Amino acid sequence: MNVDVLEDERHHRFVLNMGPQHPSTHGVLRVLLELEGEYAMSLQPVLGYGHRCHEKIAEYKPAKSFMPNTARMDYLGALIYNHGYAQLLEKATGIEAPQRAEYIRVITSELNRIQSHLLWYGAYLLDLGAFTPIMYSFDDREHILDILEDVTGSRLTYCYYRVGGVCRDIDDKFIAGTRQFIDRLRSRFPMYEDLVNGNVILQNRLNGIGDLTPQTCARYGVTGPLLRGTGVAYDMRRAEPYSVYPEFDFEIPTETKGDCMASFLVRFREMEQSLRIIEQALDRLPEGPIMAAKVPKKLKIPAGDYNSSVEAPRGELSYYLVADGSDTPYRLKVRTPSYSNLSVVSEQCAGMLLSDVVSAMGSLDLVIPEIDR
Amino acid sequence: MEILNSILPELIRIVICAVCGAVIVFGNALVMGYAERKLAGHFMLRPGPMEVGFHGIIQLVVDGLKLMGKQLVVPAKADKPLFMLAPILAFAPVFIPLLVIPFSDKLQGFDLDVGLLLILAVASINVLAILIGGWGSNNKYSLFGAFRSVAQNVAYEIPMLISLLAIVFMTNTFSLREIAAAQSPVWFVILQPLAFLIYIVAMVAETNRAPFDLPEAESELTAGFHTEYSGMSFSLFVLGEYANMFIVCSIATVFFLGGDSGIPLPYFEYSGAIWFLAKVYALMFFLVWIRWTYPRTRFDQLMNFCWKYLIPFSLVNLLITVVMVKLI
Amino acid sequence: MDVKNVVQQWQNMATSVEEVDYSVSGYDYSVCLEGEKLSAFAGLMLNEGFYLVDLMAVHVEPAIEVVYQFAHFKTRCRVMARAFVDGKGEIPTISDIYQGANWHERETRDFHGVVFTGHPNLEPLILAEEDVDLKPLLKDEKKLKGVAAVRRVQPEPEAAKPEAVKSPEQS
Repeated sequence: MNVDVLEDERHHRFVLNMGPQHPSTHGVLRVLLELEGEYAMSLQPVLGYGHRCHEKIAEYKPAKSFMPNTARMDYLGALIYNHGYAQLLEKATGIEAPQRAEYIRVITSELNRIQSHLLWYGAYLLDLGAFTPIMYSFDDREHILDILEDVTGSRLTYCYYRVGGVCRDIDDKFIAGTRQFIDRLRSRFPMYEDLVNGNVILQNRLNGIGDLTPQTCARYGVTGPLLRGTGVAYDMRRAEPYSVYPEFDFEIPTETKGDCMASFLVRFREMEQSLRIIEQALDRLPEGPIMAAKVPKKLKIPAGDYNSSVEAPRGELSYYLVADGSDTPYRLKVRTPSYSNLSVVSEQCAGMLLSDVVSAMGSLDLVIPEIDR
Repeated sequence: MEILNSILPELIRIVICAVCGAVIVFGNALVMGYAERKLAGHFMLRPGPMEVGFHGIIQLVVDGLKLMGKQLVVPAKADKPLFMLAPILAFAPVFIPLLVIPFSDKLQGFDLDVGLLLILAVASINVLAILIGGWGSNNKYSLFGAFRSVAQNVAYEIPMLISLLAIVFMTNTFSLREIAAAQSPVWFVILQPLAFLIYIVAMVAETNRAPFDLPEAESELTAGFHTEYSGMSFSLFVLGEYANMFIVCSIATVFFLGGDSGIPLPYFEYSGAIWFLAKVYALMFFLVWIRWTYPRTRFDQLMNFCWKYLIPFSLVNLLITVVMVKLI
Repeated sequence: MDVKNVVQQWQNMATSVEEVDYSVSGYDYSVCLEGEKLSAFAGLMLNEGFYLVDLMAVHVEPAIEVVYQFAHFKTRCRVMARAFVDGKGEIPTISDIYQGANWHERETRDFHGVVFTGHPNLEPLILAEEDVDLKPLLKDEKKLKGVAAVRRVQPEPEAAKPEAVKSPEQS
């Protein structure tokens, strides 16, 4: 990437280096912007600043021991990453997690999803120059972290799920705390809507910015709230139901316009749907064991290839495992949603104002460690 | 001797005014710095500064000392003279408007016939300071901030001026004291509500405060024109910003909120000044309030708003005022 | 989308199309292709409304296998398309059809050294420029397995493999 050449070739343009340390790239992402005035004529994301070779590590240790690594890929959706991986190994080895464990997984995963969306909500509005909402959403998020800390033992990079279940049972305190939190967050939604969502400045900043179409999403593999913002009700929890999701009644929020406002609203409404799922799961929580009876210490995976896809907060997460019959994966590939979602920016943001680039990139809800696995 | 006798009182007056001006500028920065952080904290459901002194009341003094103790970092490829000149230029002119602001009918540095023109002329030096600061930093983000600032301040000076001009037509004077005095039965905010609204919007834009803080939009331009500044040179920009806030709020008070008028307090000769400051700080509270509530606008929307709405409306307002003045 | 029809079309261009048990493997169809059919295949997939989930390489004997994962927005139909790189370690790009493949191909180039012919900008994406020849995900001799060792053992013999190609030169 030779910056001088870019500047020389079209000398009326200049190259602005946004990142790796920039307030609105949310991590060590670097974007080279070629500007004409305030218009960004082309964008080149530069990746790799935080690559930790998780896929290589996976080939060098027993498949079971890779679980903590999954949490480090997306620090905001750690439990959902756990979920996908646990499910992958369960599929491959034919172990079945007990019902109670699946319910606990759903409850904690959905709490994790709300937590991720709340952080995005605050950080995105911070990108747009509203300083206060991040404190409100972090206030709510803190409750989730406290609830999850009690049961999982950590606050951010959880390693709570195991092959065949979860490692600790939830107690009455957890259930009471979660119910309390559901009521609290429900009562806060109207405030968020009054304070932020209806604001005319916000609407002007988001409406019609960063248009996506279902076709563009298919070409780039864009999934998650961005895709649902274009009107496609595609959610792995419904499209390829996993765990006990089919038992719950919830909607998949969609919008049709595909702009930043659409994905903004989709994410906002998803929090409400997640609350519904948690509520139903708590009501129907079955008694029983939390771990499958027989999980061998050395987990031999039969030769073959396995895929497991779950809905992460940012889109579709896929683990693809190629096994050679030993307990170590022969090849593990993680398809992270942000990676595909970010690849669309060059097309989505070309010709945009610098401020719109910030709001479009914010609406992608990037988690950089997930891109640089 | 003769000359000395005639000049000496004036000299003493200037010295006293300058000292008072410095007290106001620094005192205001301390009060507003603390108030802004404390208010922002409470808007955000957190306590704000709490550590230094009772409820963090001397936090700002400590911060000031820290900033003074910091090294002035000049980037290697920066234009050093311009880089050092910019903060001084941003800070120094703020004393001049304070000379003509009538804090009460008895408290005013100089009552000039062209007080308003003086203030507006001096206030535009600030733009120059930001421009050379942004240019001299040799940083693309700073440059962007500077460009935005110039475009924004030049544009918003027009509706600001036109809305004030309506008042000038009504009172037939540029003298701030006479304008304040002309509002004895009714404040001009009631006679000129549109001009007041336009002025308030333009005032926020002129002081580069959120939601119009595009020159220093930190999510886009890291810190805009003062990205490269540190220590005292940075704090001079901040002092200048708070002083400018004080000045524009003072003008709003003089032009629309009746200046020093208010119920006289017993046993206190300068009760007008108390009322004046109360109104100014109420406006400043408003500025802080909207800063911590609204998201930032986009640059083209900001300029469109000025050229397509504020300027036409202020012109219409001026026209109506002129017709009414002529008829009545 | 009519799955049967699409499967029929795959069979026309692929060396083998295999339906897989979703509950075990997590996907529905496994399609083995030859390199030159890739573009046509990708075009067909885009027309039928599939999106590109992922693109990855697996280093096996006799050659690196590139796996394309597709899924559909409306129907559950998850497809793994496989193709081996040719003797020179090259395979045609699909980034002109699925632009999202652009980064995946660059990443695969970084980690496995697979050269995607026709790719507009095959520069290192994740590796630093000086580490272009590192190819960190290639297996060393001891760990490298034959392609049969990583295939699921089926009750009946598997469909014919694409004819063996020479292993790409490794540094």
